[in-house]
Amino acid sequence: MTAVEVRGLGKTYGPVAAVTDLSFDVPPGEVTAFLGPNGAGKTTTMRMVLGLVAPDTGSATIGGVRYAALRRPAATVGAVLDTSGFHPDHTAGAHLRVYARMGGFPRHRTEEVMDLTGVTPFAGRPTRGLSTGMRQRLHLATALLGDPSVLLLDEPANGLDPEGNAWLRGFLRELAAQGRAVLVSSHVLSEVEQLADRVVVIREGRLAVAGPMTGLYAAPGVLIRTPGADGLSALLSGDGVTVERTATDTLLVHGLPADRIAAEASSHGILLHEITPVRPTLEQAYLDLTGGPA
Amino acid sequence: MSALVLAEWHRLTSARLWRWAVLAAIGSGAFTALLAFIGPENFDPPLPGLHTAEGTRVVLGVLGLLAFVPALLGTSAVAAEHRHRTIATTMLYAPRRWTALLAKIVTFTGAGLAYGAITAVVAGAGLFTAAAAKGSTLGLPPGEVLALLVRIAVTMGVYTLLGVGFGALFRNQVAALVVLGSYFYVVETALMLVPGVKALYPYLPGGATAALTGFTYLADAVAAQTGQAAGTLLPASLGGAVLVGYAALAALAAVAAPLRRDIT
Ligand SMILES: Nc1ncnc2c1ncn2[C@@H]1O[C@H](COP(=O)(O)OP(=O)(O)OP(=O)(O)O)[C@@H](O)[C@H]1O
Ligand SMILES: [Mg+2]
Repeated sequence: MTAVEVRGLGKTYGPVAAVTDLSFDVPPGEVTAFLGPNGAGKTTTMRMVLGLVAPDTGSATIGGVRYAALRRPAATVGAVLDTSGFHPDHTAGAHLRVYARMGGFPRHRTEEVMDLTGVTPFAGRPTRGLSTGMRQRLHLATALLGDPSVLLLDEPANGLDPEGNAWLRGFLRELAAQGRAVLVSSHVLSEVEQLADRVVVIREGRLAVAGPMTGLYAAPGVLIRTPGADGLSALLSGDGVTVERTATDTLLVHGLPADRIAAEASSHGILLHEITPVRPTLEQAYLDLTGGPA
Repeated sequence: MSALVLAEWHRLTSARLWRWAVLAAIGSGAFTALLAFIGPENFDPPLPGLHTAEGTRVVLGVLGLLAFVPALLGTSAVAAEHRHRTIATTMLYAPRRWTALLAKIVTFTGAGLAYGAITAVVAGAGLFTAAAAKGSTLGLPPGEVLALLVRIAVTMGVYTLLGVGFGALFRNQVAALVVLGSYFYVVETALMLVPGVKALYPYLPGGATAALTGFTYLADAVAAQTGQAAGTLLPASLGGAVLVGYAALAALAAVAAPLRRDIT
């Protein structure tokens, strides 16, 4: 199975260091989310992996081979790029047929990818009249023509409606489950949370973190509002338990489940106004990493 | 490579441009036919009629001038991909970028020859019909008229090829056209005034074109203006080869520089 390996990749545009010494892997069988603020270097990185932009330093390989050296590139890697377009005269179907011919793929493959991506209903319409979401589906269809084992998708959910989004998540999960390596850049963290197995977060062109999604989160905790914050804090503090005072009447407890805390409070007659288990979100973890607002 | 050529052909025929190209080809031929029906003797100033060798040559010469039109088609080959932002997708399918350019060259040269063939057939039919309608015959033997028509058709194919080369070099259709057009209509005429350059004329694009089409009005005009005799032109096949050489140079320059640039 094919994986993408990025090693020491770097690119500067004039005074702008778009990407600096970036290394990470995209393993097969998983969806890897590629995150970072606007201008962090995600698109530049993907273009370097695809040989569209020449890196200044480092290398990117697919199954150990540079993109340009792949024997059948379009049958190995499928890509959706954020600035790509279509010839306005071409119908969606004609666009796919041009590239199916270019890749040497069988004719029926065009119909297959149109069905897979929901392009069939507008296959006969000129691309100049397609909506953003339709165009995005057509880009995805183009990427899938060669039945590639690696997918590099730059903001593929852009412009999709909620149904489309849910469909795309399921679809990408399915593609990964078939053993493909899937790299998806996105800004919609709530969606990434439901989609990705791994994350690569970059910031100002450098790697912030790369690894399994679960490793990214802070430990879950329990938020308590009580007039007896002092007493409860003293009571709970101890082995493996941390109590953080976030306001005069508010505690954030790590290391004890909510029911144990409630039982302790009740047995010591401490009144609780609120007790809420808090699951840290990807958004919070991401903002912590990228130095955004807490 | 054949897959790439097939794809380019499909790309060309799926857009509207080719229909305009067919119309332009028919129009060029029809314009020649119209001139033949009017007859050079009715031009302003009057010229020898169709029944003279000179008159037939004049009408065919106007068609030769229109050989420049299909270059327009050729310049769109690469420029359209930049304009409509399909270039990244194409380069993903053909990461060895010169292969995509070569496929376009093959496809558009074929299209340019087809354009020339349509033009030549319409113009030829018009010429012979006009002569018959006037109750006379053309001033040149039919074999020679056909040979000149074939040479014009080939010139159109070669000019389409030139268009592809320069379109790839400049990546912008308007820029490529301005450069090609201003060269042929301004720069080369001006160059002729430079002493010594005239000796090179047979090898310059204009001289090579004159050799290929067999029409030497520009060379003759220059000779008239400068009071020097026009240099002898190359044989037609060599003139064609020189033009193909210029197109190849443009394509090689495109492969060497603009085609290597980052696609962002
Ligand atoms: N062709 C270019 N010329 C000059 N600078 C560029 C070019 N392409 C990218 N950059 C710069 O490189 C940096 C990284 O840009 P890039 O598009 O890779 O970011 P991104 O992570 O994809 O951002 P976004 O989330 O907004 O899509 C930015 O500072 C950008 O301005
Ligand atoms: Mg981007």
